[in-house]
Amino acid sequence: MAEKFDNLEEHLEKFVENIRQLGIIVSDFQPSSQTGLNQKLNYMISGLQDIEKCRQQLHDINVPLEVFEYIDQGRNPQLYTKECLERALAKNEQVKGKNDTLTKFKSLLISELGKVFPEEMAKYKAIHGDDPPS
Amino acid sequence: MTEIFSLYGQQDSQGPAGPSALGFGSGKPQVPQNMGPMCFQHQMVDEGGPIRKPAAMNEPFYLLRELPLENELTGHTNLITHYNLEHAYNKFCGKKVKEKLSNFLPELPGMIDSPGIQDNSSLRSLIEKPPVCNNSFSPLTGAMLTGFRLHTGPLPEQYRLMHIQPPKKKNKHKHKHLRPQDPLPPETPSDSDHKKKKKKKDDDPDRKKKKKDKKKKKNRHSPDHPGMTGAQPSGSSLR
Repeated sequence: MAEKFDNLEEHLEKFVENIRQLGIIVSDFQPSSQTGLNQKLNYMISGLQDIEKCRQQLHDINVPLEVFEYIDQGRNPQLYTKECLERALAKNEQVKGKNDTLTKFKSLLISELGKVFPEEMAKYKAIHGDDPPS
Repeated sequence: MTEIFSLYGQQDSQGPAGPSALGFGSGKPQVPQNMGPMCFQHQMVDEGGPIRKPAAMNEPFYLLRELPLENELTGHTNLITHYNLEHAYNKFCGKKVKEKLSNFLPELPGMIDSPGIQDNSSLRSLIEKPPVCNNSFSPLTGAMLTGFRLHTGPLPEQYRLMHIQPPKKKNKHKHKHLRPQDPLPPETPSDSDHKKKKKKKDDDPDRKKKKKDKKKKKNRHSPDHPGMTGAQPSGSSLR
């Protein structure tokens, strides 16, 4: 799994470096640089071909669109992961709190109903069995 | 009809229980005489969950449903532990994650911290309007490369900014290596020599310390220095 990411990363780094060198050549162009420029342009195309080959290995990888929002804003995409984890934990705690409250309510209700309607509650417990431990 | 009476016959024999003491009736449904099997079958159809079997209909509870099956995984369990994400949680939430994109991709050249909308390089626009292109990449032929013959000389001013990288943060342990982005400090030519620097360090350690302190003080009072609470550059607050 990590190998295909490393492979893609390597190709992307080479591609970016090639583009950067292309930019340096173009920033102050000289006639003698034409051959190098042509070579860099063809390297760019071969780089794109290599990246496209990597696509087949990564067809099952899904990226959430929200990550692109972070990147477009110039923010670290790891912040998205961090916020996802924090939201998941907060929601988990919230649901656990509801679960605990409802469990306590159920036990209280059963105990109070047992005081008021003892026979009916005995029949109810016989039907449903003892309450599972929460 | 006889089936219905036999089912409810047991209830009548038991007699009224606790609820009657509270002023309620027997609590059992009073089945009218004209109810037929069709009506009984209608009661079998429930809008919600599964109802109990006919044998249990003689209980004091009606409309009693089966309890839902308990899922193994609920909000009661710590899902981060369950899915073995503790390491990831400590990594992202335990430490401070830097805000900028350049901290995630330090090797990437160019100004990547600016929003993509400004220079029309956003990923969103790429997804919404993908560029129209062929299915394959083919290398450029000689005839195609003639279109890339450029004029000699530097780029025009408006295009030069694309190559400027953002200034890198200065390390706490200041190194004497000169960076192309940083402005040249007013040093003598002899300072560039490493050996001579060492000698100077050996000769005047106190002098270097004083210079560092002065630089720190200047940086503290500069308007660009972060974390300052509006301190004036006059330096009166240090006294």
